[in-house]
Amino acid sequence: MANRMQDIVLGATLAVLAVIWTGLVIDTIPRGFGDGEIGARAFPLIFGIILLVLAVLLLGRLILNSEPDVRTEYDVSADAELPQPGGVKWMPAVLLLAEIALYGFLLEKIGFVLATPVIVLLIMLLNLRVRSIPKLASMSLGLTVSCWVIFEKLLGIYLANGTWINIG
Amino acid sequence: MDLFLHALSLALTPLAIGSIGLGALVGLIFGSTPGLTFTVALALALPMTFSMDPVPAMGLLMGTYIGGMTGGSVSAILLGIPGTPSAAATVLDGHPMTKQGEASIALGTAVIVSVFGGIFSLAVMIVSVDLVSQVAIGFGPAEIFALVLFGMSTICGLCGDSLLKGLIAGVLGLMIMTIGIDTIEGVPRMTFGSVNMLQGVNLLVAMIGVFAVPFVIEALSEKTNTSAQDTRVVRVKVELPKIGLLIRNAWLMIRCSVLGTGIGAIPGTGGAIASFLAYDHAKRFSKEPERFGKGNIEGVIAPETANNAVTGGTLIPLLSLGIPGDPATAIVLAGLMIHGITPGPALFMNHASEVYGIYVAVVLAYIWVLSFQMVGIRIFVHVLKIPRETLAFAVLVLCAIGAYSIRNSAFDIYAMGVIGVLAYLLIAMRVPITPIILGMVLGPTLENEFRTAMMLSSGNADIFYTSPTVLIFFALALLVIGLQLKSEFMRKTKRQQQ
Repeated sequence: MANRMQDIVLGATLAVLAVIWTGLVIDTIPRGFGDGEIGARAFPLIFGIILLVLAVLLLGRLILNSEPDVRTEYDVSADAELPQPGGVKWMPAVLLLAEIALYGFLLEKIGFVLATPVIVLLIMLLNLRVRSIPKLASMSLGLTVSCWVIFEKLLGIYLANGTWINIG
Repeated sequence: MDLFLHALSLALTPLAIGSIGLGALVGLIFGSTPGLTFTVALALALPMTFSMDPVPAMGLLMGTYIGGMTGGSVSAILLGIPGTPSAAATVLDGHPMTKQGEASIALGTAVIVSVFGGIFSLAVMIVSVDLVSQVAIGFGPAEIFALVLFGMSTICGLCGDSLLKGLIAGVLGLMIMTIGIDTIEGVPRMTFGSVNMLQGVNLLVAMIGVFAVPFVIEALSEKTNTSAQDTRVVRVKVELPKIGLLIRNAWLMIRCSVLGTGIGAIPGTGGAIASFLAYDHAKRFSKEPERFGKGNIEGVIAPETANNAVTGGTLIPLLSLGIPGDPATAIVLAGLMIHGITPGPALFMNHASEVYGIYVAVVLAYIWVLSFQMVGIRIFVHVLKIPRETLAFAVLVLCAIGAYSIRNSAFDIYAMGVIGVLAYLLIAMRVPITPIILGMVLGPTLENEFRTAMMLSSGNADIFYTSPTVLIFFALALLVIGLQLKSEFMRKTKRQQQ
């Protein structure tokens, strides 16, 4: 039953997304230049409509099919170890999204060498609740220095320099 | 014979052997790190070749290309995060094998079949370069569109239990790739006035997000989730594939090599399309299709053979016509031209020794890759001993480096985060994520080729039903969809009977 509810939420969300997408496509992307021209609008519009149809089909199947969900196994191969059915961990997901966004921001402002230990420390403190100072220091500095040496110094990959602070 | 001996003398110098080995090693490192593509490695290697002779220079580039193509499977198998788009299909069975404690067998098999596919395609290239290039050049936009549409039909086989959800995932992948500036008309699409959004969502960034972020979220939340401990890999044994396994799958390897070489010869296609088609092909003709996605070695053999067979295939239009199939081969082409080797019909008359020297360099590159990987497997598998939460930091930082380095833009890191969390939610709602990847890989080609075909035919759709090649691919796509619907129907009937 939980699966059924989840599918209804999924179907409804996708249907709303498809309607918004289709509306935005019509509103913001101009048609092709000539009569026979397949313009920039065509494909996003077709995809939006297909998504709407599929979402409605998903909802329709759930409404018309009154029998309980017989799918007991979830078999999408490589995804199997990832979130288990009904087990969305909202807090870690939202926290990680915020941390990734902060990492992107800090990379541009204070550069890779300072941003990386800050983010690793933050993840260890907030997500894993590690309080051991030697562990915090070794992980954050070890990872930063090893990545900096391997990628920037050995492989010549450009790692971000900060616009506020730049220490290499 | 003199020509061949001369080619050997050019390719077997210490400098040439060393530069091929260096290229293979650097390519492996870049290929196995999600986000760091071998195209980047090739771009970094190109200036190093300026002062070299042509054969060592091309050996360095070919070694990097081949090492990168092979390296993508390492992170795909060990972490479930493909290092390159070509390795995305390898995740499907390679990573489940890791979870069953068979990482080293999967890695060993992947590298051996990669070498087989690569050398097979090189042999095909040598004997049929003229013929294949003539066929491949006949592929216009309509034919490539039909081929890609056929590739899209394999979504049906990657849907898991719900065909409808698989199709939804595929469409979501297609939609993501339409964001950004339209490459044909230059019109911004779904950018909301943001300059950063104009560049669109990079395929690699999206792929890193889809595969890596859900892994990191799960790994970081495991400490408070004891049930998740069951999914951890506890066994780390180093065991290489037995010769019997390879002999049993020899016919599959040959078929996938032919497929990969053919796809590679068509400009604008590439390893990702070849590996997904090969995976689908292997599943359809397997005696145990139900084991696919659960750690079937055939699911590793097929995509890895095919994506490496692409390397020889891409050399066909590159050398015979001067047409690069993808950005990586465009850099190889630049390397050739810098050294005065101009591809085209006159290539074999003017630079025969150098071209044969490059063939020998390709073989040497595969020998280097095989050696590095066989030694490396014993080290790579120990990654699995690292606690998952510690591994998660490393994966997150590596993925951020990879995402950032593609365009030196923090926007790509934001995109990685958003797409990754959305993928996490979709997985939790039982939506398979592999069709999203397939949609993202094939979407831009599908749209661009269709629109180009329509422009070339002045808006006349005849082009899609007058070409026999197009019709063959459409028929194949219909056949695949029909077979999938039939098996879905039979599965439902079986369930109802139970």
